[in-house]
Amino acid sequence: MKKQILTILSFALVFALNMSAQNYTDYLGAGHDEGITVYGSSEFDNTSASNTINGGGLDANYMDAARFLSQTTFGGDMDEIVRTNSMGKEAWMEEQFNLPATLTLDQIDPIWNTILENYADHFDVRLAEGILEICEFYPDTSFTQAQVDAYYEEYIQNVFGPYALHFNYAWWQTMMTAPDQLRHRVAYALSQTLVVSAQSDLGNHAEALAGYYDILVRNAFGNYRDILMEVTLSPAMGYYLSHLNNPRAIPEENIHPDENYAREIMQLFTIGLYMLNQDGSRIQDAQGFDIPTYDNNDIKELAKVFTGLGAAELDPRMDIWWTDEAYFGLDLYAMHKWEPLKMYEEWHEPGQKVVLKDLIIPAGQPGLRDIEMTVDYLFNHPNVGPFISHQLIQRLVKSNPSPEYISRVAGVFNDNGSGVRGDMRAVIEAIIMDEEARSCDGYLDIDNGKLKEPMLRHAQLSRIIPQIGRRDIYDVEITSYDCSGISYNQSYEDITEDIKYWHNGYSDYDLLRQNILMAPSVFNFYLPDHQPVGDLTQLGLVGPEFKIHDTGTAINYINLIFSSIVWEFNLYSYNGDIGIEYTMPDLDALTALANEDMEALVNYYDIVFTHGRMSDQTRENLRALISALIFANDPELSAKLLTFFVLISPDYTIDK
Amino acid sequence: MTKKNNNISRRKFLGQSSCYAIGSTTLLSTLTNLKFMNAASIANSATLMGGDYKAMVCVLLSGGCDSHNMLIPREQNEHDLYSVTRTNLAIPRDQILELNGSNYGLHPSMSGAQSLYNQGKLSFINNIGTLIRPMTKEQVFQNFNDLPLGLFSHSDQVQQWQTSIPNDRSSVGWGGRIADLMSSMNTSADISMNVSLSGSNIFQTGTNSTEFAIDRNNGSVGIIGYNDFGDQYKATIDNMLDAHYQDVFQKTYVDVIKTSRDADVAFRSAIENGSTFFDVFSANDFSDAMHMIARTIAVRDQLGMTRQIFFVDFTGWDHHDEVLNAQTEMLGYLSDGLNEFNTAMERIGIEDCVTTFVSSEFGRTLTSNGNGSDHAWGGNVMVMGGPVNGGQMFGNYPVLELGSEYELGGPGGGGIMLPTTSVDEYFAELALWFGVAPSELQTIFPNIGSFYDVTSGTMPIGFLNT
Repeated sequence: MKKQILTILSFALVFALNMSAQNYTDYLGAGHDEGITVYGSSEFDNTSASNTINGGGLDANYMDAARFLSQTTFGGDMDEIVRTNSMGKEAWMEEQFNLPATLTLDQIDPIWNTILENYADHFDVRLAEGILEICEFYPDTSFTQAQVDAYYEEYIQNVFGPYALHFNYAWWQTMMTAPDQLRHRVAYALSQTLVVSAQSDLGNHAEALAGYYDILVRNAFGNYRDILMEVTLSPAMGYYLSHLNNPRAIPEENIHPDENYAREIMQLFTIGLYMLNQDGSRIQDAQGFDIPTYDNNDIKELAKVFTGLGAAELDPRMDIWWTDEAYFGLDLYAMHKWEPLKMYEEWHEPGQKVVLKDLIIPAGQPGLRDIEMTVDYLFNHPNVGPFISHQLIQRLVKSNPSPEYISRVAGVFNDNGSGVRGDMRAVIEAIIMDEEARSCDGYLDIDNGKLKEPMLRHAQLSRIIPQIGRRDIYDVEITSYDCSGISYNQSYEDITEDIKYWHNGYSDYDLLRQNILMAPSVFNFYLPDHQPVGDLTQLGLVGPEFKIHDTGTAINYINLIFSSIVWEFNLYSYNGDIGIEYTMPDLDALTALANEDMEALVNYYDIVFTHGRMSDQTRENLRALISALIFANDPELSAKLLTFFVLISPDYTIDK
Repeated sequence: MTKKNNNISRRKFLGQSSCYAIGSTTLLSTLTNLKFMNAASIANSATLMGGDYKAMVCVLLSGGCDSHNMLIPREQNEHDLYSVTRTNLAIPRDQILELNGSNYGLHPSMSGAQSLYNQGKLSFINNIGTLIRPMTKEQVFQNFNDLPLGLFSHSDQVQQWQTSIPNDRSSVGWGGRIADLMSSMNTSADISMNVSLSGSNIFQTGTNSTEFAIDRNNGSVGIIGYNDFGDQYKATIDNMLDAHYQDVFQKTYVDVIKTSRDADVAFRSAIENGSTFFDVFSANDFSDAMHMIARTIAVRDQLGMTRQIFFVDFTGWDHHDEVLNAQTEMLGYLSDGLNEFNTAMERIGIEDCVTTFVSSEFGRTLTSNGNGSDHAWGGNVMVMGGPVNGGQMFGNYPVLELGSEYELGGPGGGGIMLPTTSVDEYFAELALWFGVAPSELQTIFPNIGSFYDVTSGTMPIGFLNT
């Protein structure tokens, strides 16, 4: 924390000095657009700090690095911006590719144990609060030991989990602290194509969600074929798209195989609805019609493949009294939540299956072999490269990639240069290092940009602005269970090391319609081709994220930022989770900076949040605010409001 | 035809006082507002002659409701066939709720809807689905190009139930197209004719209009401190919102906030002083949404509304699994919520001006996949309200027998029903009632000509009382 504050201060000084002196030629903003002016400060003396900067346009390089980190991480603070700039983007990527994976499943038990311990440890607090509350009205109240014991039994039954909330805690903790940021940013992107959602019974089981998410984390730089296979066999997906406990046809009972997964693995996870060129455009037949990739008959055939999958084992956590081993039909509650599903051959559809004309799955082979053949076939379909590349580009870089960009990335998906198909590391490298993601050319083109997802907005500001944890401490003594026997004092402590960023993402979902693994359906929070009303549609452009930018969520976002920054209540656990700190933005250093020179703070934000494209009109607006009376008297509030207005400005929320 | 519609509006205006409780003001404002109409889109409109209030409430059961277990054959023979086909998904005959004078009955958890039907306030339209033109079973297998795009797919079908254009993937819905045409009837410049309880949606997206999204519990959501934190704070927000943005992404981001700021001011002041119905509605998401709609309708005059379209997405009907258990709970919420909404409308005397209609992207396979059902096509829907010819069955309810005339079979268990009524007919009738002139019907429903003669002078289905 200290180190970061120092970096901010020293950087701002350097930045302020550097601003007015440089004549930039080769970075974002310089000479490439008219709406952007670089401002400097004349308030600083020409101290020795200036001599430490010899390279031209360091600040511009920082803006460039900040933009790169906004595509590759959940937010790069100034330390990381400086470090990335000095090591270079290629080296940064290489470092990221080699970092070990931070898994979420590993964190569920420790989180849950902490919650349980805190809960038990705070019984005296809750008891004291309860008695004191009653004492306000009935000063003669007293309780027996038996009553207190009974209350304890009730109290301890009341804590529920581990469920989606605790997966949320693990995810936000990882997002805030894990070094393997690129891996997690990619996993997060994949989770919006290969969708499972806690808005189902999966929400009751943290391990099902964490085990699923970790498939995407482990394989983020692996091979898409492995992702498809692991996803297909995961209990979470099996439950969500109902190929778990899906029996073969039983004609005499009119029971037919469930078609859900058969449809979605094609429509959403691999090939989409229409035959595609490598650049993502649709192939058309001689009459000019789009060519469907499959018909309903293919789905019915494919449904037969995904039969016979059931639980691999019993859930070790649950008390399952009625059986010693897993069986076909064992439900989500009782089954192991992350061990790959097991094939129960007697429930697998026998016989030959013919899918998509030329995939002929012979009769009589093991069920898992049927599934492998299907996954291989779909994985090798020419649509997968453009289909998946397009969506990854949309999540990481821009909503409307050019056909050439899609084609370049899809080409790498098809062959990484060593004859390997589906190499995710190569695909991610191709997306991020592509000239369309990196270059300033076309930077202000009308089709360049995306609405930063609400979750990314919240995540990025939480990583870029230093956080302090604040935790309630209780000093409670109970000498007797009556109104005279209670001594109760509450205070708080601030935590700067090993902060728990255990955020309740449900509240983000309520306000912003987005939370990790919580899409309303398998179609994610938005579709890749969503067009909001207005100019984008008229220009034939898409803006998927605008689906969740409506008159409600747009305002909720503003209010959430106000609460996070001005009211200093940023990341917080569910309110029953006693003893867990919430986080507050640590604006001391920024306030000190603002107190010296408010413009310097604006310039600093123009690097970390808006990457050098804060517009003249936004600056003018901030300047008017700065010059208002209130700021002379209250530098802290001034810094907060300035931060608030930057974070709700379109300069921050629109990624260019 | 234009003439007939005028008469309808006029009769309604003169004859039903409840529709214009503060009618003189509303009418005057509407007439004044005529001056500002967008001449291009409305020049020939016969729509604007009424000063009466009308509201449509679209309840979308997204996921695909298994509506053959909502409305179920009760007659012994047909129930036997139903049981043979549905096997372990069949609901026993003695549990089905009776509907007056009907061979069909309701799911056991739907006593609210049962009572509405029996009081003549609710009807069913059966075996309805997306169609480009009427089709026979043979034609389905011969003319693939005449089938709706992406049959059985959620994303396509839920879109087509909102656009009513099954031969195209459009993001403009028919509610939005109506608002494009008619929004000048409302005097409010700030609040959209389309009000959504479920955020942005295709149904209410027009070419030039979009929905006003409100929260089911809190109503409109305002920018914090906008009116309380001082001039400088307000000015900084206003400067941000009222600035000109060349970048279309930035402009789109800001435009939504700007719309909301303007609407919030108007909406909040009206709703805060309006009626509430906490004694009527239960506490669940669907009832909460219907309650907020009722509260909004109660302040229609303060909001300057003569036409409103509401949308609520009741999600979670994709029951590939656990269809019996899940539907027992969810159909109960649906049925009770509708009944509660009707009570609220009657309390404020506006029930003759409000039509609530149910949509769902498809029916489900009649056959079982073990303990659920899969995506299919035709299904059954409900319509409710004073304008509805209540206590009746509309459309055809085919016998639920595999291999029968409208059962499309398939290599799996089969049980996909070919719709015999199109969503176009359903929605066109609502649009006509709402005040769209027959001459303008085709601009909103491009395929309507395949199902209905727009010059006929009758309603396409007849479930609405004109």
